[in-house]
Amino acid sequence: MNSETTDTELITLLDRVANKDHLALKALYDCCSAQLYGLALRVVSNREWAEDVLQDATLNIWRAAGDYRASLSPPMAWMGLIVRSRALDFLRRRKAEGSQVTQELDDTLAQTLPGDAPNPMDKALASEQAWALHQCLGQLDHGPREVVSLAYIRDLSHNDLARQLRLPLGTVKTWIRRGLEQLRLCMARFA
Amino acid sequence: MNLSHTPELLDRLAGAYALGTLRGGARRRFEVLARESAVVRAAALIWQARIAGLNELQPAALPPPAVWTRIDNLIKGETGAQAMQDARLAAAASRAPAQGLGGWLQSLPLWRGAAIAGAFATVAAVSVGLNLRGQMGNEIQQLQAKLLATPQIEYVAVLADDKLAASMLVTFDPKNRRLTLQRVGAYQEANDRSLQLWALPPAGGPKSLGVLGGDRVLRLTAAEGDVKEVPALAISLEPKGGVPSAGGPTGPVLFKGALIQKLL
Repeated sequence: MNSETTDTELITLLDRVANKDHLALKALYDCCSAQLYGLALRVVSNREWAEDVLQDATLNIWRAAGDYRASLSPPMAWMGLIVRSRALDFLRRRKAEGSQVTQELDDTLAQTLPGDAPNPMDKALASEQAWALHQCLGQLDHGPREVVSLAYIRDLSHNDLARQLRLPLGTVKTWIRRGLEQLRLCMARFA
Repeated sequence: MNLSHTPELLDRLAGAYALGTLRGGARRRFEVLARESAVVRAAALIWQARIAGLNELQPAALPPPAVWTRIDNLIKGETGAQAMQDARLAAAASRAPAQGLGGWLQSLPLWRGAAIAGAFATVAAVSVGLNLRGQMGNEIQQLQAKLLATPQIEYVAVLADDKLAASMLVTFDPKNRRLTLQRVGAYQEANDRSLQLWALPPAGGPKSLGVLGGDRVLRLTAAEGDVKEVPALAISLEPKGGVPSAGGPTGPVLFKGALIQKLL
C-alpha cells in the first residue's frame, strides 16, 4: 500500500493551501474532489445539493487548512469529516426551511440497498484506518453493513433508520448491535 | 459505574457513541463519563477515528467542472475583496498632498473615448488618496482618479484583466439608476459567447447585474441596493445570453476590479 507517500503529498498540499496557495488548492481539488463529492452525494442524495456541499466544504478547507496539522488526522479523514459535517448542516438547513428531505433519501436508499459487495475503494487515497474498516465491513452481512454505514453517514437514529428503510425497529437494532460487535472484534486486530 | 474497569462494555458504548446510535440520556451520561475519565475519552476518540473511515469508503463520483469554476471565482473574489479592503484602509490612513500629474497624461487617449470631463484640480489629490499600495498598477489608479472626478457619478470601477490592463469602465449613477459599461480594451468575445457583469458582495455568492451586448457602450438599469456596499465587480465569459444569477458564474472571470464610491 502506498498511502504513506500519498498522505505526505496531500499534507504538503494542505500546508501550501494554509499559505493561501491557489495552485495547491487546485491540485488538492483535482486529486480529492471525486471522493469528497461521492461522500457528499451519499449524505444529501441530490446532485445539485452535493455540488453546493462540495463548494462549501472546499471553501472551508481553504480557510481552515492552517488547523489541519493540529488535528493529527490523515488528510483524507480530515477532509471527509469536513464534507460530512457540511453536508449534514446542509440537510438540517433544508429541514428547517421545511423542504422535503426524507423523500429524497428514500429514493437513494432504494438504490443502495440491493447491492451486495462493499463499495470498491481507492486504496491510494484512503487512510490506513479506513482500509482496516473496509476489511472489517466486508465481513458483515449486507443488511448490517448498510445500516451501520447509513447510521453514521446520515446521522440517523434507530427510529429514523427503521422508518426510512421500512424495516422493523427490532431488526435495525439487532443489525446495528451485531454489526458494531463484529467491527469491534475485527478492528481490535488492526489496533 | 466505572467504565474503565469494564473494557468490553466501554468499547461497545464508545462504538455506539461514535456511530451516533447512542442517543438521548445514554449519550449524555457517556459524555459525562468521558469528561471525567481519560480512559473513556480515549476509547471514544479511537472509535470516532475508526468510524470516520466510513467517510472515505463511499463510492467516488466526478463533480461537474462548473463547481471548480465557482470555487475559484469565490476565492479570487474573496482575496480581491480583502486586498481592496486593506487598500481602502491604507488610503484612508494616508491622505497625502498631491504628487503631480505626470503619469496619467499617458493614458489620456484612452480617456477621450470615455467622454468624461474631469475636474482637473481634484484629480491629483484623489489619485494619491487612492494609492492602492501599487497593487493595481498605475493605469488603473489614474483611471479611477479620473472617474472619481466626474460629476453625477457616485460609484466607479475599472475592471482589468489578469495583467492589470484596463478593459472595462463601469460607472453607476444612482439618481438615474443607470449602470454604464464601456469597453476600453481590445477584448472581443466569440459570437457564441456573452460577457456577464457580476456584483461580488462581501457575503453570499456573486449576483448578476446584466449581460453585455456587442456594443462598446452598454447601459443597464440597476437599483442602488444592487451596487451599494459591493466591494468588487467582475465580468465572466458565459454561453450566449448569459446564465441565471442564482448559480453564479459558470465560465472564467476575465475582468474584475474594485467598486469605489465617490466621496466628494
